[in-house]
This record gives sequence, structure tokens and C-alpha cells, in this order.
Amino acid sequence: MAITYGYTGKILRVDLSTGKIWTDDTLKYKDFIGGEGMAMKIMWDEVAPGTKPYDPSNKIIFGTGPLCGTGVPCSGRTNITSLLPSSPFYGISSSHMGGYFATELKYAGWDMIVIEGKASYPVWLRIEDDKVKIEDARWMWGKGIFDTQAMVASFMGKDAQVAAIGQAGENLVNLSVIRTGSSHSAGGHGGVMGSKNLKAIGVKGTGSVKIAGDRSAWAELDKLMMSIIGANNQMVVPSTPQPWAEYSDKTSRWTARKGLFWGAANPPVETGECDPHDMQSVGFRTMKAVFDLGPQAEKYTVRMGGCAHCPIRCHSQLKVPQLSKYGFDEHVSNTCMGWFSPRGVMFKGIKAFDGMNADDSAVVGTAIGAKLADDYGVWCNYGQIGRDLQYAYESGILKKVLPASEYASIPWDKLEKGDATFLVDFYERVAFKKGEFSHIADGTYWLAERWGFGEDFWNGKVYKVWSRQGFPVHHSNEAGGQVGALISCFSNRDAQNHSHMNFIGSKLPIALQKEIAGEIFGSPDALDAPADYKPMNEYKARFVKWSLCRTMLHNSLTLCNWMWPMSVSPLKERKYRGDTALEAKFYSLATGIQMSEKELDEAAARCFTLFRAITQRQMGIKDLRTAHDQTTEWVVHREKGKDGKEIPQFTPGTIAMEEKDMELGRTLVYREFGWDETTGAPTRACLEKYGLVDVANDLAARGLIPV
Amino acid sequence: MSDLPEKREGFFEKDQSRRDFLKLTGTGLAGAFVALTLGCATTVRTREGNELRVWKTPEGAIVHDPNRCVGCRRCEVACTVRNDGKASAHIARIKVARNLNYGVAGVSAAYAKADGQLGNFRIVAETCRQCEKPACGIACPTGALTTDKKTGARVVNTKVCVGCGACHDACPWHLPTIDAETRKATKCLVCNGDPSCAKACPTGAIRYLPYAEAERLLWGAEVVSGATV
Repeated sequence: MAITYGYTGKILRVDLSTGKIWTDDTLKYKDFIGGEGMAMKIMWDEVAPGTKPYDPSNKIIFGTGPLCGTGVPCSGRTNITSLLPSSPFYGISSSHMGGYFATELKYAGWDMIVIEGKASYPVWLRIEDDKVKIEDARWMWGKGIFDTQAMVASFMGKDAQVAAIGQAGENLVNLSVIRTGSSHSAGGHGGVMGSKNLKAIGVKGTGSVKIAGDRSAWAELDKLMMSIIGANNQMVVPSTPQPWAEYSDKTSRWTARKGLFWGAANPPVETGECDPHDMQSVGFRTMKAVFDLGPQAEKYTVRMGGCAHCPIRCHSQLKVPQLSKYGFDEHVSNTCMGWFSPRGVMFKGIKAFDGMNADDSAVVGTAIGAKLADDYGVWCNYGQIGRDLQYAYESGILKKVLPASEYASIPWDKLEKGDATFLVDFYERVAFKKGEFSHIADGTYWLAERWGFGEDFWNGKVYKVWSRQGFPVHHSNEAGGQVGALISCFSNRDAQNHSHMNFIGSKLPIALQKEIAGEIFGSPDALDAPADYKPMNEYKARFVKWSLCRTMLHNSLTLCNWMWPMSVSPLKERKYRGDTALEAKFYSLATGIQMSEKELDEAAARCFTLFRAITQRQMGIKDLRTAHDQTTEWVVHREKGKDGKEIPQFTPGTIAMEEKDMELGRTLVYREFGWDETTGAPTRACLEKYGLVDVANDLAARGLIPV
Repeated sequence: MSDLPEKREGFFEKDQSRRDFLKLTGTGLAGAFVALTLGCATTVRTREGNELRVWKTPEGAIVHDPNRCVGCRRCEVACTVRNDGKASAHIARIKVARNLNYGVAGVSAAYAKADGQLGNFRIVAETCRQCEKPACGIACPTGALTTDKKTGARVVNTKVCVGCGACHDACPWHLPTIDAETRKATKCLVCNGDPSCAKACPTGAIRYLPYAEAERLLWGAEVVSGATV
């Protein structure tokens, strides 16, 4: 086989029904970049519309991209694409996990794994370089994810990386995850693995990813990248004034400072000043434990962890001795929603419990929830599960839909008192599908239908449901107004898009951000000041398209979209400018395939348009604008100010969107992509421009292509 | 030092560190200082006619601090991209990947209490100590392991290496590794005195220290280095 650069050149194919294992050629899909893009192509070609997530004919694709494994900063992510059980039309979607699985897969010689069929009994997949075997997992079935990983490693060796499901995935809980390592979860597709009787995938690789370009050119590019990289979410301004910094912003995730320690390290390690010119302090910048869990988390922090080849460590790794009292090991690791979702389930707050003070209770209680969710493998629908519970409980619906004995058996008193051991009961019912209550994890759409949620739920701002598909806000209208709002209209799950956030969340002054926005999108009007929005314009539409495509690009290369793209930099001498061509520079040097920034963005637009076409084919409708791209009503309702009076849209102090303006926004985004401006469906001309003639013909045969 | 080199089996009569060798020079070794100026692992002959190979003292060695390590493994790829033109964990000359999840001891039923990401979060990278009397070099049947002229690091001459793995087997920590793609051994060569791994470390957990200091950390009683833990 010819030497390939960046790519390993091979896709692993496994049919669990027949036990057949074979190899496919990666480069025949190279127009779709890698990871999510290639997965879209395979799903379009091979999974017929009408297929359901738990059908054996559904496929689940674990994808890496050409930059994964090369050492490009923040390139450790795995993209997982399949049909989504919690979606009302089982929409195609991707979940993503960090950790070390993807790089190991590359070193074993594989760009992707495509799994189809269903094993007749529980199995796990063993990958040791080019040796691939389906192994018996009957004795692993029923175990949590931590023990499962250890069992696989006991067979394969300590250096194996493992992706696994817990009891939630086994029991086909719609809201379940696939997880790897200490705290890296991919939400929504755990049940798909469970439906295939696939408990885990273990991988070990002794090979390499080859770099096509000159070694010193690669080192120089890495150096440039490291001068541009910020803290988590590409925040380039520290949270406290620093001698080197012109600006500071207390809401920044660049939390390092003198006097702030990894307090449970032995001896404690000071995070320090972290001058951005000092490459040996980059890993200290993001002291996420205190950002996510408050100042009381400092003393519990052993270190910050994260993913392969990423210098920005965003996972807080804590030693919480009190956990042993509840039967858990005292070490716990997580980040962002991994902490927030158990807190969301405790919607009345975690208060002082079991004799601990309130501060310690908050950390211990959160840690209990994180441990349970991670071991059972329960997903939270980006925090929505807690708000679903809140509505069902406070509206009295739960009391009506649950048998009286079941309702009485739930320790509501703990929830009311803020005793986080409520979570022990909660996650057990969910993971083992115990009783009617467990439908709380069907996903919001199915749950609302089953339990008869009212319009007050869908239209209640407090419940944050963004779409009638049952997914919530995720950096939506609060993030750049129409930019974030429109980004959230195109996915089949929460948008999972940080391309815009990693720019507008940089904490640089708004005037400077607008200047940079002007350079990238053609006008400073692409970006409004927070909660001081102006009506829609074409530059915002460009920003939306760019964000949608860059996220697709990152999930295809695979790069972390919680850091990339690099629009800004912490360096004053760079005038705080980043470099939006870095992805293309790394791609060209790694693969030897020369691609400009524009060309790579076009390739990502091809992938995103294909995603759009699959969604349309699955829904079987012509008009995506009406049937898919709408928000819930609260999004476009006027907000009330503190005085109780409504604040008109486009006046300072409100983030509310306006209906007609959003419709204009949709039209302008469709125009940017070349989709039909009325229905939002990809046109034949657009599909053909991207080389998707077969897609155009298929949609035309179904009567779905715009005339 | 009274024990003169003994005759033994193998390609060389006796492997000596430079320090041992300097002690021997007073006892009648001819050409000793000439040998030292050559700078590499040098074979000299004693008055009695025995062959003696002298290993130059390394200038320094790489030391890793598990307390500051965040497990990003940027060091591994910085090593292999610079030295091999490709990214790989297996052949990286600093070994993090194999200890990342379950520590040096490996997976056990008590994994949650042990080292590693799935335990107490302690990450131990194993680094080459550039041993004074390098077991890898002593075991090499083709003489492919020698000392770098500038740094004194024990390095692999890939023209001579046959990829037999004797160095890997002989090293108590199995740090030299056979690259399955080239069938040659890889081991730490300290990047001409400016190690890539240390430069790539985002928390300063990897340091290239003068040999005496490195030795103290790598072998001393108050050990903090990953290599010895």
C-alpha cells in the first residue's frame, strides 16, 4: 500500500451480524476531509431513509481526521456519527469525545471505524494495529464504564485506549453516552452501541501518522500556533490583571494567577502569571476547577487534564476524600456540562448536607453526580434533563403520570433539601430503565409527548428548549444575537458549535472584536455588542455559515471546536489577531495535499450541505425552513425588564430575537450556502457545484429538490 | 580501584563509565586520555591486552516531574516528528502513553486507587537516564549504540542497528523501542542538547538537567522523576 500522509489511508469496517471484518480506502472519500464529513458521505450512501437508530442496519461511525495524531494542538478528538435516538425523526447527528482514543486509533493504522449489524450476544471489538477481533463481552455486560475499561485493558495491556458504554447504553436509554478515559463523553449514541450488543472498543497502535511536509516547517507552524492559542474556548484575556496583559475580564476562563494553586497536588503547584510568551506555562492558564465549581474547588484540585496533544487542559481532576463515604473512589474528573448537568438535576440547588458546609457540599454533591453519570453512561441532552425534570415535577405532571407507589418511592425530600444523594436514586432509575420515571431520559421530544407537556413548557424561557425537536440552547441568541441564534437552527441536536464562541468569547474589547470581525466577514457589523443587537445583515449570515462550516471542518480534521478556530491571539504585538488559515496550513503540511483556507472552507460547506441533504431525506419534506429550522416561541418574544415592562427587540438590554428578522436571517444564510431561499433545501445547482450529483438525483427522484 | 578489567564473553571485554575509567587511568592504562578525547564509546586496550570500552559521561539527562505533568503527550510527538518525521507514541523516546491510564504498574482490580488517569491522576513519564554503564549499549550485538560526540547521550547508529531488540530487553525500563516500520531501535538522543520534548511541555514538567543534577533526581533517595518511580 502506498504511503499516506496525515491519513492512515484505511477505514475499518465491521459487520457484527456476520462477524465480517474488512478494510476500506479512506482517500476515496477525501473530498469530505475526514471524521464527520466522511461519516456523512458513508451514511448518505449506505443508510437508507426510514432506518431507525436501534436497527441493525443503522451504522455507527467512529471518525478521526488527517490532523488527529499528528500533534497539532487540540487534535485528540473522536467524532461519532449515527442516527440519534432522542430526535423525533432520528436525525443524523454527531457526538464527540476527547481523550486519547482517536490518536491511538490512528497509530493503529485506522482513520475511521464503521460498525453495522448486531451481534447475537454482547461483544467487544479488539484492535491491535491491523489485527482486529470480535471478543466475547458477556461477562462485561452489566458493568459500569470504568470497570469495563479496566477489563478491556486487562486483556490488551495498560496502554490500550477504550471507548465503552455503561448500563444506560446497554439498556437502550436514548440519553446515553459513549465514553473514553477518565471523563470524555460523546452524548446521544450510547444506545446505538447497546443495540448492536457492542460493549466496548479497545485499541492499541504501534504505528505512526506521517507528516508530508518538511520537519522544520512543521515545527515553525507549531510555534506560530502556540503564539496564537489562548485559554479554553480561545479566551485570550486573563480573568485578573496580569503584568503582561493589557486587558482583564473576570468572566474569562484564563483563570491562572499568582496565589492560585492546584491545591491537592503534592506539593501544590502554583498556576502563576502565565505570560503568553512562556510556552512552559500554557497548560496552567485554564484552571477550570475554580471556573466551573467555584473557589472552593482549589483545595481539591490535583491537576488539570484533557486530551491528546492539547496544551490547554480543561478537565478538572479532583481528589474529593468525602466521596469515599458514599462508596465512590475519591478521584473525579470532568469539565463543563459534566459538572453542570448533575447540578441541573438538583434544580433546587445543592445545599449543605450530611454535616458538610455549603461550599464543600456543592463540590461533593456535584462530584457524586458526575461519577454516577460517567459510570452508568447517562447523557443530559446538554443540561436539558434537569429542566425537563423541573417542569414535570413543578407542574404536577409527574404526580399524574407515575404510579402512586413509584412516585412515593422517589426521595423528593432530598431534592427539596438540596441533599445531592438524591442523584444516587435518580441516575439508577435512569440507567436501569426502572419504572415510568426512567422515561425522563427518552429525550425531551419523546418525553413531552409521553407525559403531555404543555405549551407553557415549550414556550417557557426558563426551560431553554430551543427547538421542537427537543434540544436546548447552546451558545444561541445570547452569543452574538442572530449569529448564535441561527447557528442553533440547523442541527438535529443542540448546536455543539463553538466556532463563533471561540471568537466572540475571547474577552477582548468589543471595538477590537468588531474590527477583527470586519477583517474576517467583510464588515464590523457582523458582530454586535452583547445584548445590544442590531437587525440582521449579510455579514452576520457569513459569520453563521463560517461557524457552521468551521465546526464541520474541525469535526472532520479532527480538531477541538472548543478551542479552534484561531481568530484571535493573546499577543499585543500581533494586535490580538489570530490566523484563520491555520487549519489549511496544517492540513497542507500534514497531508501533502495543498488546500487554501478558502478551498478547505468550501470542502466543509460540501460536507455541511450533505448533512442538510441527509436531514431533508430523513424528514421527507420539501420545506426545511418551516419543518426544521424554526425555534420555540420564547426565543422571538419580547423580554421583560426589571420594571416588568417589555423591552423592544434591538434595544440595549435584551437578547430576544424578532420573528421577521430571524426569517430574514434564515434567507440570508440559505443564500450564503446557495440553498433555496424559500425552503432552505439544497438546490441542484448547489449540490452539483459540490460534486454531489448523486445526491441531487436522489432528492429529485423523491420530489424533494427545489424547482 | 583495584579491580582491573576481567575477560568476559561478548563483543567487548568490559564496559566502563568514564568516571570508573578515570579512576583506572592511574593504574597503568595506556592511551587513556587519548581515548577520552575521542568523545564516543571508545574501545581501548589494557596493558594486559584486555579490551575495554569506555562510555563518556553524558552532559545531561531528561527528568520528568509527575506532579506537574498534565498527560497531554505533546512531548511524545515533539520527539518523533523532529527525529523521525512522523508522529507516534510507541517509538517516542519519552514514554507517557503506556503509563497514562493505569500507571507504571499497570491495570489492577485496585485501579481506582493506583496511578494514572483512571486512578489518582498521577502521570509518570519514563525517560532515558543515559546510564553511566548503559545496559542497552552493552547488550547491543552490533555496536550500534554509542555516545553522541557533543552531548554524550547514548545514541543509535541506524546504519549499524539490526533491530534485534536486545537494547529494549536489556534496559530495566525497556525504553529503547524498535520502530516496527523501520525495524530500527529508537532511544533518547537528547536532541543535540535541546530536547524537543522539554520545549513542547506546556507545564515545564520536563527538564533537561546537567548530569549530576539529573542523576540525583533520577537515582536519589528523594526521587521525583518518573523514570525511577
